[in-house]
Amino acid sequence: MDSGGASDPSRQVRVRFLTKLPAPLRAPPTSIAVPADLTRMGLSEIVNSLLLAASPDHQAQPFDFLVDGELVRLPLQEFLLAKGISVERVLELEYVKAVAPRKQEDPCPHDDWVSAVDGSNPSFVLTGCYDGLARIWRDASECTHILEGHSDGITSARFINKGETEDRLHVVTASKDRSLRLFKFDTSVSVPKQIGAYKILRGHTSSVQSVAVDPSTNMICSGSWDNSIKLWSVEGSEEDGDTVSVKKRRTNSDSSGPEESLFEGSATSTFLGHTQCVSAVTWPERQTIYSASWDHSVRQWDVQTGKETWNMVSGKALNCLDCGGESSSLIAAGGSDPVLRVWDPRKPGTLAPIFQFSSHKSWISACKWHPSSWFHLVSSSFDGKVMLWDLRTAWPLASVESHKDKVLCADWWKGDSVISGGADSKLCIASGIEIV
Amino acid sequence: MGHSDGDHGSDLSADDSPWSEGSWSDDDDEGSLSFEDSGEGSDADSDEPDAPAVEESDSSEDEVAPRNTIGDVPLEWYKNEEHIGYDITGSKIKKRDREGRIEAYLRNADDAKNWRKIYDEYNDEEVQITKEEAKIISRLLKGKTPHTNVDPYPDYVDWFEYDGKGHPLSSAPEPKRRFVPSKWEQKKVVKLVRAIRKGWIKFDKPKEEPNFYLLWGDETDTADNKRQGLSYIPAPKPNLPGHEESYNPSVEYIPTQEEIDSYQLMYEEDRPKFIPRKFDCLRSVPAYEKALREGFDRCLDLYLCPRTRKKRINIDPESLKPKLPSKKDLRPYPRTCYLEFKGHNGPVKSLSVEATGQWIASGSSDGTIRVWEVETGRCIKVWNVGGVVHRIAWNPSPDRHILAAVVDHDLLLLNAEVGDEDAQMKTKGLLQIEELAQEEDNGDKKPAVKWVKHEKFDGIMLIHHKAVSTVEWHFKGDYFTTVVPSGDSRAVLLHQLSKKHSHHPFRKLPGLPIAAVFHPSQKMFFVATKKFVQVYDLQKAQLVKKLESGVREISSISIHPGGDNVIVGSKDGKLCWFDTDLSTRPYKTLKNHSKDITNVTFHRKYPLFASSSEDCTAYVFHGMVYSDLNQNPLIVPLEILRGHSSSDGRGVLDCKFHPRQPWLFTAGADSVVRLYCD
Repeated sequence: MDSGGASDPSRQVRVRFLTKLPAPLRAPPTSIAVPADLTRMGLSEIVNSLLLAASPDHQAQPFDFLVDGELVRLPLQEFLLAKGISVERVLELEYVKAVAPRKQEDPCPHDDWVSAVDGSNPSFVLTGCYDGLARIWRDASECTHILEGHSDGITSARFINKGETEDRLHVVTASKDRSLRLFKFDTSVSVPKQIGAYKILRGHTSSVQSVAVDPSTNMICSGSWDNSIKLWSVEGSEEDGDTVSVKKRRTNSDSSGPEESLFEGSATSTFLGHTQCVSAVTWPERQTIYSASWDHSVRQWDVQTGKETWNMVSGKALNCLDCGGESSSLIAAGGSDPVLRVWDPRKPGTLAPIFQFSSHKSWISACKWHPSSWFHLVSSSFDGKVMLWDLRTAWPLASVESHKDKVLCADWWKGDSVISGGADSKLCIASGIEIV
Repeated sequence: MGHSDGDHGSDLSADDSPWSEGSWSDDDDEGSLSFEDSGEGSDADSDEPDAPAVEESDSSEDEVAPRNTIGDVPLEWYKNEEHIGYDITGSKIKKRDREGRIEAYLRNADDAKNWRKIYDEYNDEEVQITKEEAKIISRLLKGKTPHTNVDPYPDYVDWFEYDGKGHPLSSAPEPKRRFVPSKWEQKKVVKLVRAIRKGWIKFDKPKEEPNFYLLWGDETDTADNKRQGLSYIPAPKPNLPGHEESYNPSVEYIPTQEEIDSYQLMYEEDRPKFIPRKFDCLRSVPAYEKALREGFDRCLDLYLCPRTRKKRINIDPESLKPKLPSKKDLRPYPRTCYLEFKGHNGPVKSLSVEATGQWIASGSSDGTIRVWEVETGRCIKVWNVGGVVHRIAWNPSPDRHILAAVVDHDLLLLNAEVGDEDAQMKTKGLLQIEELAQEEDNGDKKPAVKWVKHEKFDGIMLIHHKAVSTVEWHFKGDYFTTVVPSGDSRAVLLHQLSKKHSHHPFRKLPGLPIAAVFHPSQKMFFVATKKFVQVYDLQKAQLVKKLESGVREISSISIHPGGDNVIVGSKDGKLCWFDTDLSTRPYKTLKNHSKDITNVTFHRKYPLFASSSEDCTAYVFHGMVYSDLNQNPLIVPLEILRGHSSSDGRGVLDCKFHPRQPWLFTAGADSVVRLYCD
């Protein structure tokens, strides 16, 4: 014991705990010596005891530690060795709340595989299912509306308005039946649970894989298996649709559904260029569309001219794409291999990804940036896991393994939850993720 | 010089100096020397040691500057003056008082050195010269060299070396005689030549050099030992004695009594020849009793045992390997399985990929045909056809979603019910059939094929006269072929979908047909029989080529998208690559599988081909075909894909590439379809 005590002081590091967290979670900024072989958990305990000393009613909670903008994932000593950081000076450890789901909500059962999920509305969750129905879940617990009309599985579904007008929701769904449908309904009225589309967007010759909404919510773009990206207009979609010249009135003849008259819209423009299935589209800015395709490329399109302005070949067939991160300019994409890659299109001349996250075991089916954090990503994979990532470390922050089968879609919800749908016909919600 | 004694005040005129009288002799010298010693010793002493230094100094620059500074002016200008001139500071130099001549004479007569005194009129002082200076002066007066030890006539030493100098010392032009052959020499040479010819001159015999040889040299490796014909092989060297042969070996070498006893149980040949023993001293070692015997045996061995020279080739085994490019450079190719398509309840016997790669269809022996979505692995359609599905083929035309499946003995054409409305309508139209043309064929024998509408699935059934084994589409999607192995002259059938018409163009085949495929771009047709591949021209309806595989039994065939290369898999696990332009024999035969190859296939876009086998593996190869006809195809084995488990001794039953991605689908007997991605 004595000998161990004699050798320990030589392996001590002087650290100072800093944070950007609000006051009750702020540890005294004095430097203390801690054993160098501490891991994240040990450091977390020290911070918790410091906080407890400051305020007796402090609840212990896990923290994550940053050194020079990198999360500590090894024992401190190994981390410092690996990074070549000197232990001579006082090490400044910035701590943030550990990002991990604290709680698993009850999953929302579906009739078939859940293939699309949108969590951009803080009070409602939109899911698309392989049975051709899209569902609206209030607070991710109660199914209030069922949006019907598609004759084949829904591949993608999006809120068009983000819920500024709380009682009126506007939704677009894309399906394997080669059409997109627009729905509009009142959330306060839940009497007609089943809701039909007020407008069908036809034009794709093969299944529509992905849909994205323009930030100004006037336009929609969709990527399809027919290698094209089509732009659709949302405007003029009110009941007095006769005023729009493009639309023609037609009865839905082929489906066995109720005899209802629907408006049909056609694409305002088509972007051709991809040579294979366009599996993901995203519309981060008004003038730019990014698309990912099975032809291994990520392309940037100028909405005004319809020309592609940037083309990057990744080497793998891509399934999902999202823009985000620092000033919303990084591109995360995953595809037919277990690696989630992040590119920076501002870097000229290189096509090498700037970050690669490879803890998944199978294809990546979805990836999403956190709506407010620059660093956090969620990804889902066919190996049944949903993983949370931080750009500042190559290890996953957390892995949600609530699904029994392939996870097909995942999204952030309310900034602190991750919702994911999978082949086990469930929508799982992992909540309590504190990202400050 | 510069040696002047100013303290002698005597005046000495030049004319009465003793030099002219020749009174300077060695005797005088001796006398004066002795006198000096007694008299003014200090002065004489300073003279003698200085002599060598004086001799060396030859320059007039050492002279002390004259006291007087009047320059070179006539001295009579100062004759009547009180002074003789001016010193260096400009003050007057006073004339000394003239001594009386008598007085001076007397003083000089007493002084032996007087004769060496000279009056310097210019400086108005007396200078005494040394004896050496006096000697030099006298020698100069005699016309001799100033110094005695100079030899005026030394022997001439010629320091220049003339030997081997390329350049003449003189720059005079070469005289003419140097260029004219010497007449005298010519005469001399003629004389010598005549003498040699007539034998008057006899030369010495060349000196014999003593013949040394290496006394301890190794004779074995010298080239001299090589005899004519038979090569000399040195005898093997006997083993050198080791520690155990020592008279005093270490303890560990000496066997215990038990060990010695155990030797008796051994066979005669296995027993050790020599048992080490310990002796106190070398003197007590007895004679080796087997010495004679062993010597004799060795002689016998050397004499009787033929020795052969072993030819050892020193080749780096790495250099014998063919130079193959690195696998990294050949990416992408399928490597890992990420997706499994599960749902069948029996071995999946066949699979087929839709032209765009969005769906695959699989047929299983559980009597179902399933269509799967590739991107998620979801089964989107199931047909329960009620019979073993041997073979399934998706129409290669992207707007005709028709599945051709071999169910039990017959062929079933199905509408896959995917794709947009136009394609659906077209497909439905193609699968409409009127039941009319049945009676006319009922002549002599049963028709080969009957087209019947299949009510349950809204498709067409092609009822063959015997069991169908395979079905293959033409690349345009209108024609397809079926093979009926036991069909004799109607074994290979061609069908046209649009006209619902069948015929059998090949009357005679050199064996049981196994498979038949269309050329991917031309009007050619390949029929694989058990040992051969027949290549037909469909337009001229004639045999073009016959490829000999050399394997036991062909099981599958695939045509390279270029059309000039064919791969054939066999039931003995061999894969043959034919370059039809090169030869009718295989360009390469790869023995990779331990069991039957079930299918071979080419990728349509990437230079890849794969083979699947009953040994639960699938192999992926890089198969590059160059447009340059002089360059042979490059075949590199890339990956062994494992993952399927064996069921009833059967492994992987089918493999197909994705039409656009470097992915491979494999159908296993374990009722799973796997997708291997890059």
